[in-house]
Amino acid sequence: MTLLLIAALFLPLYPLSVPLNALLARVRSPVARFVLLLIWPQVGVAVLAQAGTAVPSWLVGWALFTAALYALRLLTCRDLGRAAGYLATSAIALTWGLAASASGIEQVALFALWMSLPAALTTLLDGMLVRRFGAAYAGLCPGLGSALPRYAGLLVVTVLAAVATPPFPGFFALLGLMHGLGSSAAVVVLLIWLVWAWAAVRLLQGFVAGTCREEGIEDLQPGSVLAWVGVLAAFVGAGFFFTGGGL
Amino acid sequence: MDRLAILLPVAPLLSAVLITLFAGRMARPSVARLSVGFAAFTTVLAIGLLTLHFQQPQSHTVSFGWGALYLDPLGSVMAVLVSAISLVVHVYSVRYMAEDAGYGRFFALLDLMTMTILLMVTAGDLITLLVAWHLVGVLLYFLLGHDLRREEAQRYAFWTFITYRLGDVPMVLAALLLYQAFGTVSLPELFSHIAETPDVATILGLPLAPTVALLVALAAFARSAQFPLHTWLPYTMEGPTPVSALMHAGIVNAGGFVINRFAPVYVHAGDVLHLVFAVGLVTAILGSVLMLTQNDIKKSLGYSTMGQMGFMFVEVGVGAFSLAIYHLIAHGLFKGTLFLGAGGMIGNARKQDGVPHDEVYTFVVERRAAGSRLPWLLAAAITVVVPFVLLGLSHWLLGGGFVGEQGAIILLFFGWVTGAQLLFATYRMQAESPWRLMAMIVLSLTVVVAGYTLMEHAFGQFLYPDSTLSQRIYEAASIPLSTFYGLVGLVTAVVVLGWLATFYTLANRGRQNGPASAFRLALYSLISREFYVADIFAWLSQAVLGISRRLNVWSRWV
Repeated sequence: MTLLLIAALFLPLYPLSVPLNALLARVRSPVARFVLLLIWPQVGVAVLAQAGTAVPSWLVGWALFTAALYALRLLTCRDLGRAAGYLATSAIALTWGLAASASGIEQVALFALWMSLPAALTTLLDGMLVRRFGAAYAGLCPGLGSALPRYAGLLVVTVLAAVATPPFPGFFALLGLMHGLGSSAAVVVLLIWLVWAWAAVRLLQGFVAGTCREEGIEDLQPGSVLAWVGVLAAFVGAGFFFTGGGL
Repeated sequence: MDRLAILLPVAPLLSAVLITLFAGRMARPSVARLSVGFAAFTTVLAIGLLTLHFQQPQSHTVSFGWGALYLDPLGSVMAVLVSAISLVVHVYSVRYMAEDAGYGRFFALLDLMTMTILLMVTAGDLITLLVAWHLVGVLLYFLLGHDLRREEAQRYAFWTFITYRLGDVPMVLAALLLYQAFGTVSLPELFSHIAETPDVATILGLPLAPTVALLVALAAFARSAQFPLHTWLPYTMEGPTPVSALMHAGIVNAGGFVINRFAPVYVHAGDVLHLVFAVGLVTAILGSVLMLTQNDIKKSLGYSTMGQMGFMFVEVGVGAFSLAIYHLIAHGLFKGTLFLGAGGMIGNARKQDGVPHDEVYTFVVERRAAGSRLPWLLAAAITVVVPFVLLGLSHWLLGGGFVGEQGAIILLFFGWVTGAQLLFATYRMQAESPWRLMAMIVLSLTVVVAGYTLMEHAFGQFLYPDSTLSQRIYEAASIPLSTFYGLVGLVTAVVVLGWLATFYTLANRGRQNGPASAFRLALYSLISREFYVADIFAWLSQAVLGISRRLNVWSRWV
């Protein structure tokens, strides 16, 4: 049980999710936050493997509650970095559902990766925006679609990946999760997925649409964009390879 | 040739990728040529595959990795429709979007949308269908919100997006239930499993086929703007005109398509078909009412599409699945033409209206009454008698089972309600030669009804070569004869009441300018506020956002 509770800190279940989000808010370096979001859930998966016990059904209920809570809170979160943290918390909590449905630990680790990587990439994008505007707050720096088209394109695609839009692996991973959980829990997961999409569009509209008030802001270099696109393409390819369509 | 089918979605995808990569270095005409070229290639390919299907009328599944394409008559016809409309929209956009800052982005999105719809209509398994179904909503959001500076475009693009996402939820659930029951994602395999074991139970002991049919119908309602999930459609005119044309001509028809795709499931879901009929009927009536009361021509067109979608679902609800596909093709073509031609029409009208000064013009525009009109009682009698004669003739020609299985209700609703509406209007018109006008109306009504019946028969034989399947769908959708006659009586009563109201209005013409009654005012405000549906959704979403804000403040944003 102690190991399960430790795992609940790293595969965050509310209120054990507070330290992760507090840490993300405190750490300034985008790279550190990126690494934190990638490593944190993998530590949880490792602890879960160490525990070696079956995940009780009440923990799955707790995980679904956490995922729903953070999805709901994400709706009114306007800060890009904080939103990445909320989204990661909501998505990673769902790992418990897969762990409970007797999946192998490799599958659970991959699920955590599919769910955390896009959110981690979003923290890097947050850093780029903070460097240019001093803050990454939706509505405060609108019009990026016109002012910084390359950055805006990457932001849109990365956020779509983070909310499990096909063909990104999160979508197929969610299908597999819902199949393992059964129909009743699947309805809850679907509603959480719906709220993610709602929140993502609210967030994107605050950044991409509108008119930019600042002038002379430098967009990303084509080389950086290509590298980013390469990472996302590899992410999609890996998802196709490992998830096999989800069902 | 079957392997070439993979090029159907691949060609537009390739075009989108090339434009995204090289749009910055290419001149605008080159971008347009590239995109139009790929769109033309896709159309030729789709026509080739359909032609091949005429020569070898067997359905094929083409697998690629975990996905699959399914080439059957339905998929092949829809692929031709989608690629052809897309090609026209591409060509139209070359000049229409010429001054737009996001020229390359627009064509890339248009290509991606074409790819996604083609993937959807030819999907051979649940995963491919789900991916395409979901992506249509996402891409439509970006196309409708293409103008990043227009707040309205962004707001209504979001309405569309969230309604489509609502429709994704039941679709995914239906896919999960099917996979859990039969352990396969292949659509042809799933349908044969359902045919073999239709009584399989699913979640909470519910029968699988009707549950899946209901979930698919719910997804279709959201996708095709059925009441009360219709609010997004009339407001989507804020997007670029080519997108409006593509949406009203193609994307919005996805609901009718997906129900046809799952036709073998609906054989075992008669009650769901009745629900589809009822929702379609309510949508058709409300869409028509709202269309008539709009003072904004674009919203009026939007509500017109909503009404048409309602009619399409009415057809599905009575089991006339192939007729619904014919309807969506016909509607797609005329609505697409309407949207694409609207700009030129307005431009021409500013110089020369070109309206012939005939009876219709003097009545509608100049409000000038002239000549004579038919006696009230005679016009009323024609309205009631003609449909009965048409129905009886069709019954006599096509056999005794016609009422139960051939969707005679459609004839009633199309032929009768539309005809009655036309007769009401022309009765008030006071034409120079009312007898000739009335004869033309009755003749055109007969042609429409007979044409629809023949087309349904011919098109049905192509789309559903297995006559047993279409026969069983009609049986599932059939209603007891007593209910049918009850409906006939109800419609008759409504038409007769309409005529009595017309008589009453004419008899009290002098009192028409008095103050409106409280009832009429309440009705008018209800309709002018579009039945408060959008207000209810806005209130609900604000309530959810309010809860979210309170939770964040309470938990100190961690």
